Amino acid sequence: MLRFPADPSFPTVEVTVTDIETQSHWSAGLRRNDPATVRALYSKHFPTVRHYVLQNSGTSSDAQDMFQEAMTVLWLNVKEGRLVPDADPGGFLYRVAKNKWLDVVRSAAHKHMKVVHDDRALDHRTDAPDDIEERIVRLRGVYDKLDDKCRAVLDQFYYERKDLATIAGEMGVEEESIRTIKYRCMMKLRAFRKAISGEESEVI
Amino acid sequence: MSNSALDRPTFEAIEAYVLDRMSANERAVFEQRLTGDAVLRAEMELEQENIHAVELGGVTRMLKSIAAEEVASGKSTAQGNWKQYLKYAAVVAIILSGSLWLLRPSANERLFAEHFAADPGLPVTMSATHDHAFQDAMVSYKEGKYAEARNKWGPLLQAEPINDTLRYYVASASLADGDAAAAVPLFEGLAEEPISAFSDKSRWFLFLAYVKTGEVAKAKAISFDGDPTYAERVRAIKAEL
Repeated sequence: MLRFPADPSFPTVEVTVTDIETQSHWSAGLRRNDPATVRALYSKHFPTVRHYVLQNSGTSSDAQDMFQEAMTVLWLNVKEGRLVPDADPGGFLYRVAKNKWLDVVRSAAHKHMKVVHDDRALDHRTDAPDDIEERIVRLRGVYDKLDDKCRAVLDQFYYERKDLATIAGEMGVEEESIRTIKYRCMMKLRAFRKAISGEESEVI
Repeated sequence: MSNSALDRPTFEAIEAYVLDRMSANERAVFEQRLTGDAVLRAEMELEQENIHAVELGGVTRMLKSIAAEEVASGKSTAQGNWKQYLKYAAVVAIILSGSLWLLRPSANERLFAEHFAADPGLPVTMSATHDHAFQDAMVSYKEGKYAEARNKWGPLLQAEPINDTLRYYVASASLADGDAAAAVPLFEGLAEEPISAFSDKSRWFLFLAYVKTGEVAKAKAISFDGDPTYAERVRAIKAEL
């Protein structure tokens, strides 16, 4: 489990978003992919990240990119039960976004830039351990393998958490058809993953 | 883990476990099976990751959508909830229409609004400690908080009154903040300093400041001959003055 100590450099943002005041609220919301929770976290914590990126040679668009990546890391940590009960989402998002922006600034294309505070050595890199980053890349690669028909069904069932009857009603087909499509699509993903892991084993 | 297809009942049992749709009893039994069955455990981990892949696709879309909304709302806040205010707006519009005609902006102010775009500011590179106050103000300026930027730069300009960068950005923040009168003397000085990197831009903003304040004769007196950046636009504006 990850533990997120208080970050003295993380300023308090005065935004009233009562729904995410407690860890149980926001983490439960993220676990069920609740749009209201994601919006509330965005509204409350993006301004701080935006301020940091602007302060360090970036643009609003850069800040959006860093924040979205940090939100993705937070979401996956919640999904995998890696957060301690008193985790602070604002501090977590700020540190992950900051470290990602420092990586960008240090890249070849941005070597001319300088930064205000590079206290990364003091930061807890475990906020976004490398294996999470790699897994996010891998998961995106898996999703890219899905065709439109599979995405339409799987998105509604797994992401939007609609039941089979609702999906079937909206798509004008029998519930059993949706159930079959879902199973076949997931088997395609499984076969793809096994093929990949087989290739990796051969290389090893 | 077998390479052959996973049977549907097992697939759906794993799915119910991952999505937390099992009763406490079913869950306990399933977890018992997981403990003693490495193949089932591997299948569960794989299916869980595939489900996360689908969910991640949705989360990524949602985040992009929220970001796009944030950008749009920043540009068009006034468009929100317009229906709610429609009836009040109609009444207010009737009452104010006569007043607005009398108080309408002058042709010069309209010209200024049409052509003025605030200087985008400098990239913020804050390695030097003594630059911190300047760069902090620059962040405010780039965020469109012009009054705040003026307040932060003010003491710095008092300490370094000949610093052309400070003079230019205090003037720019003032003009963007609607205070052309404060901007004019600073731009006038800079426009007369051809050695300054801000000389050309200062002439342009001084011209616009004169247009805004109605000092047409002074605006027309500024020469942009041979200025590849502004000459054409200035000619068009002068034709309308």
